[in-house]
Amino acid sequence: MRAAVVAREPASPDSGDLSRIYSGIAAYYSAKVARFGATPNGVDWTCQATQEMRFVQLLKLCDFASPFSLNDLGCGYGALIAYLGRRHDGCAVDYLGIDVSEPMVRRARRLWRNCGDTSFAIGHSSPRTADYAVASGIFNVAQDQTQHDWEQFIAASLDNLHRTTRRGFAVNFMKRPESAPARRGLYTTDTASWARYCAGRFNAIAEVHDGYGLMEFTLIVRKL
Amino acid sequence: MGALMAEDDIYIGPLFDLFNLRFGPEQKDIELTAGGVSEIKALQDEFEIFQEGRPFVESAKLLGLGGLNNNRAKNRWYSVLAWLAKVPSDQDGETGDQRIVNALIKNFARKSPLPCFMKAHDSRDTGGYGLQVVVREDNPVFYIERTYLTISVPMAPKVPPGGKGKKKPKK
Repeated sequence: MRAAVVAREPASPDSGDLSRIYSGIAAYYSAKVARFGATPNGVDWTCQATQEMRFVQLLKLCDFASPFSLNDLGCGYGALIAYLGRRHDGCAVDYLGIDVSEPMVRRARRLWRNCGDTSFAIGHSSPRTADYAVASGIFNVAQDQTQHDWEQFIAASLDNLHRTTRRGFAVNFMKRPESAPARRGLYTTDTASWARYCAGRFNAIAEVHDGYGLMEFTLIVRKL
Repeated sequence: MGALMAEDDIYIGPLFDLFNLRFGPEQKDIELTAGGVSEIKALQDEFEIFQEGRPFVESAKLLGLGGLNNNRAKNRWYSVLAWLAKVPSDQDGETGDQRIVNALIKNFARKSPLPCFMKAHDSRDTGGYGLQVVVREDNPVFYIERTYLTISVPMAPKVPPGGKGKKKPKK
C-alpha cells in the first residue's frame, strides 16, 4: 500500500536542547550492543528477517540504476551494508553510517573494516551531504521522554535528514494502534502527520508505504 | 527430551509459544511488534524464508525463534530442530524437517495462509503419532475457532537421543 502526500503544512521544531535525549539514546543502544553484540537483537530488532524487511521498504527511496551516496542515520553495527551487498551488489553505494552510540560505531568499524566505500561517524546528524539518507527504527524507543520532547527530537532529525541529502530520505515509524493504549516507552503515530510535516516543510513529495506485515509504516520523502 | 535439551527442557513450552505467537492469527491494531501470520506471509513473499532444501532450523534462526535471553537453551533448541531431519514424517518420502518446510512453503503460498501452531506429542505412544513429525490442518486451540496448520513434533524423556552430552562407547 502506498499513499503520496503533497501538502504544505509548515511546522518548526523548537530547537531546544536535545543533548539529554541523544545521550539517553546512546546509553540505551550501547547497552543493547554490549549484551547482544552485532546482531539484530543488538539493535533492538526481533530478527534478521524483519530487520531486512525494513531495509526493503526504506530503499524504495533509491534509484539503483546508477551509483549514489547514502547516509544511514542510526546505523547500528551497519547491518544495511550486508543487505546492500546481497540484494544490490551491482550498484556502487558510497555508504556512511552515523550513530550516537560510540560502542555501536566501534563494532561497526571492526565488522566492516575490509569493506570499501564504507565509513562511520559518531553523532546525531550526518557530517556530509549525500544523495539519499535512511534511518531505521530511530523514532521508536522514546524511553521516558515526553511526547512533546520526543517529537522535537523527531522534527530535528527530519530537518537534519533534509539538510544533508540531495534527493531525499526515508524513515519508519510504529503505527499508532486505533483501539489499544500506546505501549509505555514506545513512540507510535498515525500515518499522515509526519508525512504532512515533511511535504510542507521540505517542499517534497512524502510517500507512505505500509501493508508489509509489520505494525509500522515507512515514510519516503522525495525532494522536488 | 534427552541430551539435546537436557535441563533446558523447561523452556520447550516457551519456545513453542514463541513460534505460536509469531505464526499466530494476526493481531490487527493491537499487537505492536509482531503481525502474526500476516507478518510471516510478507516475509516469505519477500525473502522466501522457507525454501526447499533449506533446513527448517536455518529459517528459524532468520526469524529469531530461539529466543533472546538464554543462549544455551537457544542453541539446544536449534539442535532439536536440526534433529528433525533424522526423523520420519507422516508424508512418505519426506523427513520430519522436509515435511515442515514443505508444508510451510505451501501454506504461505496461499493468499490467506493459515496460522501455524507447533506442539509436541509423546513419541512413545505407539498408538498415537509415534516417532514422526505430523502436520495437519485442524483446531489445536479449542477456544480459538480458527483452523491452523498444526505441526506436531515427537518428544519423550529420551527423545531426541543423546547428542553432544552422550559419551561414545569405548572400543
